[in-house]
Amino acid sequence: MGESTGGDSDGERPIGGGRPDELAVDRAFVCDDCGAEWYYDRHRCPDCSGRAIGTYELGEGVLVARTTVEMTPPDVRSPNHLGIARFGEVRLTAQLADGDVSVGDRVAFAGAHRLREGRDETDPRLTRIADGE
Amino acid sequence: MTGVAISGVGMTEFRAAADASILELAAAAADRALADSRHSREEVASLHVSNALAESLGTRAGVANALASAIGVEGASADRIENTSASGASACHRGVEAVGAGGEGVALVVGVEKMSVRDTPDVTESISRLVHDREYRQGLTLPSFGGLAAGAYLDRYDAPRESLAAVAAKNHRNARANPFAQFQKAVTVEDALDSPVVADPLRLYDCCPMTDGAAAVVLSPEETVPDEGSVRIEGIGSATGTHAVAERDDPLAIESVRTAGERAFDRAGLAVDDVDVACIHDAFTILELLELEELGFYDPGTAWEATLDGETALDGSLPVNPGGGLKARGHPLGATGLSQIVELVWQLRGDLPDERQVPDPEVGFAINVAGFGNNSVCTVVRHG
Repeated sequence: MGESTGGDSDGERPIGGGRPDELAVDRAFVCDDCGAEWYYDRHRCPDCSGRAIGTYELGEGVLVARTTVEMTPPDVRSPNHLGIARFGEVRLTAQLADGDVSVGDRVAFAGAHRLREGRDETDPRLTRIADGE
Repeated sequence: MTGVAISGVGMTEFRAAADASILELAAAAADRALADSRHSREEVASLHVSNALAESLGTRAGVANALASAIGVEGASADRIENTSASGASACHRGVEAVGAGGEGVALVVGVEKMSVRDTPDVTESISRLVHDREYRQGLTLPSFGGLAAGAYLDRYDAPRESLAAVAAKNHRNARANPFAQFQKAVTVEDALDSPVVADPLRLYDCCPMTDGAAAVVLSPEETVPDEGSVRIEGIGSATGTHAVAERDDPLAIESVRTAGERAFDRAGLAVDDVDVACIHDAFTILELLELEELGFYDPGTAWEATLDGETALDGSLPVNPGGGLKARGHPLGATGLSQIVELVWQLRGDLPDERQVPDPEVGFAINVAGFGNNSVCTVVRHG
């Protein structure tokens, strides 16, 4: 994380058309001007159109929807457990560590997994936070 | 009102693997639509060709220009419209704009897709490239979104799994009498419930197939068609939504569907209550329910019950997908939106045999959706 794709004041943010997979999956975007937060790359802040954009590490979220995909692309695990999670105003779809996560559970990114075969990098998956933790 | 009439329609049989090439399929649909209209090919001022995957599946490039020569309309303006699975309705929208702009002659809109040239994993991969890069990294496919939404829908409304299967069974039942449909076999609710899981709770029979086929319409200024017996495009509207599906406020919301519907109905001066027959983009069974609710045909959480009660069946109060829908007629991406318009015109003109004819419809509605709601196109047609 942190290598500039060039062309913008913020050295941390991938620019549209650059290499959007540079940002770690457990990081989201934040507008330095108005504080808006989002996950999916945008050229400008969706709220104030500002271009001073930073990133931050996502903390604890809540699972909103889930599915287990049996028929997956050749380079993706099968079954592939997937969920939509909400982290404050940020919402995203990500792989779940396993099928043992239910809608309403608290989740956080953890671990080091290969989300698609052939990639060098490993990434965290959404993992259930046990009660009391 | 758009001032545009549909003066001819035609399509090829939709099949899992056609012998014909992509150009031969497109030309066959174009010929049928022109023959159905009162127009000669010399009157074609503009050619609008919809196709999603020709380059990524390696069939050909420059499909619109090649087709112009293949069907002998050289001299017409021509271009290709790509809007993933809603390419067909987008091309129709462009054709309406071309005719509405007051040019000379008619617009020929042709949609085509030949998906059988590659095996299923390759085609699935090509289609899944339309998702956001951060979604792609997670291994997301279109059925993944269907599974997420279907699970959320059943949970929220305490709907039985059978309600999704009932959508599939209905659309397959409708396709049985449609010789243009890819599947003309009955699929029961039990068959659908027993089919292999694709993306829980969606199973194989909740998902549309991959298809080869083409469909075409001829669009004319309405003053050139007879007052009686013609089908007019009363309204057409397109809208984009969020690219990433999770960014929507609610996993069951598809804003582009709602917005495109409002635009089409506003322009038509009509409302959902006026619709007698609808073609709804059922790439997955859950989408038929979500779109019917998002468009206002049913209140949120009630389309499943209406389906189980038979309201959307051929003899129900709102016949939905009388030609079999994407589910059973098939889903050749670039042709699908136009095949919906072809079906509506056949229904509104009363061209069909009794076993698949909706009784005396006057107003038809179609929605064609790109991706899992990245873009939607709605069309309202009326028989005068």
